[in-house]
Amino acid sequence: MNIKLEQVTKNYGDVQGISNINLEVNKGITGILGPNGAGKSTTMKIILGLSRPSRGRVTVDGRNPFDDWELKKDFGFVPEYDCFYEHMSGLEFVSYFLRMHDCQKEEAEERAIEALSELGLEEAMERKINTYSRGMRQKTKVARATVFNPEVLVMDEPFQGADPTTRILLMKKMTEWAENGKTILISSHILHDIQSLTDNIALINNGKMLAHGNRHEIRNLINVPRPISIVPVKDGNLRKLAKRLLDEKWTKATSIDEDTNELTVETTQTEDVYLEIPKILQKEKITVERIYSEDDSLDSLYAKLVEGHQWK
Amino acid sequence: MEIIDKIGKLPDTVQSFAKRSKNLFPPIAKNCIYRLLVNKITWIVVAILLLPCVLGVVIYFQTDEDRQVQESNGEKIYYDEDGDLIHEDAREEFLNIFDLFVISFVAIIMAIIFSSELINEEFENKTMQLLRTTPIHPFEIILHRYLAGVISMFAILGLNAIIFYYTVMMPSGTHGILENLDVLLMVLQILLFESLAFIAIFCVFTTYLEKPYLVGIIYWIVWESFVSTQNYQQLTITHYLNSMIFDSTKAMGWDVEASDFNLVNSNEQVIATEPFTAMLVIVIVAILSLILASRGIANRQF
Repeated sequence: MNIKLEQVTKNYGDVQGISNINLEVNKGITGILGPNGAGKSTTMKIILGLSRPSRGRVTVDGRNPFDDWELKKDFGFVPEYDCFYEHMSGLEFVSYFLRMHDCQKEEAEERAIEALSELGLEEAMERKINTYSRGMRQKTKVARATVFNPEVLVMDEPFQGADPTTRILLMKKMTEWAENGKTILISSHILHDIQSLTDNIALINNGKMLAHGNRHEIRNLINVPRPISIVPVKDGNLRKLAKRLLDEKWTKATSIDEDTNELTVETTQTEDVYLEIPKILQKEKITVERIYSEDDSLDSLYAKLVEGHQWK
Repeated sequence: MEIIDKIGKLPDTVQSFAKRSKNLFPPIAKNCIYRLLVNKITWIVVAILLLPCVLGVVIYFQTDEDRQVQESNGEKIYYDEDGDLIHEDAREEFLNIFDLFVISFVAIIMAIIFSSELINEEFENKTMQLLRTTPIHPFEIILHRYLAGVISMFAILGLNAIIFYYTVMMPSGTHGILENLDVLLMVLQILLFESLAFIAIFCVFTTYLEKPYLVGIIYWIVWESFVSTQNYQQLTITHYLNSMIFDSTKAMGWDVEASDFNLVNSNEQVIATEPFTAMLVIVIVAILSLILASRGIANRQF
């Protein structure tokens, strides 16, 4: 399914939730990132039709999610917060919402048992939710949102409170759902989790969309030199290589870390660097173990975009 | 043309709605009735409701020796020390106390509590957000909760009416209890219509307002208690309930006046409404309130 936000602004009285957000989400996983209060949840609620934009347009396959009840057959939502009928068991809770999707009692129970078992809740599903741990609650929320096989899955901080086993399990399930052609929008504070799931991200801060698309492409748009480290270089070769690299037009600066025996080149033309450095090393007969850039990580990209204003 | 198309599709829509309701209502009703019954405030109200019943039992034992009995066709008929039929006094006591205490007071408080638990709690617990991401229409969200609320309220108040009726009528023996069952049936009818009206009205408050309890109490005091005794009392539900009681008691041969139920205007003209019209008005108010409440849910933003 195709989700499209065009110039979407949402105000809460005098407070602006999000401003002029443009975003297009298609099949696969899209990570939505930003600090607390950035507007991630507001964006998600607008997509789900829980909130109406103050300005702009949101469509899901060309339809308005706020007024189109039929469209909600295809929505699965994992909220950030707890919202349970605490007196119900996990099984009753998931079955209850399946009934809202027109499932008959017996079918609802069968499907709920299957969904909860898949997420490792087979033993706890008969227990009341008010006895559940945070991880169990998280799994119940995910089971409720996915049990009716929705086309669009919106997950707000789905890994919150989840132990490592639950986290790995949830990530595996998400990857499976994405492979099955579902559109998944996921927000998380744990950037590493998003990085393991997808390269496709939307970065929001102060209610504004900073960037969206492939994270590598986004990084290339940032006009800040990217550090590329070369390790380890033999002691004697460090300065020689640094001097040699400074001759290249794509090198902005070099630095040497004597302790780790590591040479760092700062550049804005990463692709050229990755092509040229092997040639230089071969010519200079210098052997290195690896060339890497921590700047490729989502953490680095997030820090640059959220904390900086370095745009072309 | 669009309207004609919609009207043409109406039978199909109704059929589909009924089919969906058959599947949706049981789990929603089960959930709602459970929540209402485990609510501490419900039990406080039940305890308050039982007070007059306890009082009835106490009075029965205190006045037991003053009763005189006569047998007629094998039936025991009880008289008080003045020689008046006990059941004729008792039935009036039953209606007066029940009208004043339950119909005009506890039932309205209960409707406020129930509608708040049914709707407002779902907003506060954020389960309403989950419901809003399902294909269930806002009218269905409100309707099934409303029906569960009406069933619960009617069951509690109805049971209380039966117990209270029994305790008040006990001094008149089996003859008195059976002789006046039509009073009990009338009270049950009033309770049903009262539940239908007030839960629907308070559902509107809970969907639109942040503090439905406060507004509900103000509505009860200003509108249903004060305006219901004034010239424009037709704007209140109490007027229609009173009209139904007035008509029924007259039909049962009681010596009652419209003024006993405040059904007169400032010119002392009787302004009671026909019972069928009164029932119809209550049902229409309930339906309109539910539509309004469903719009409130549909337009609520999270």
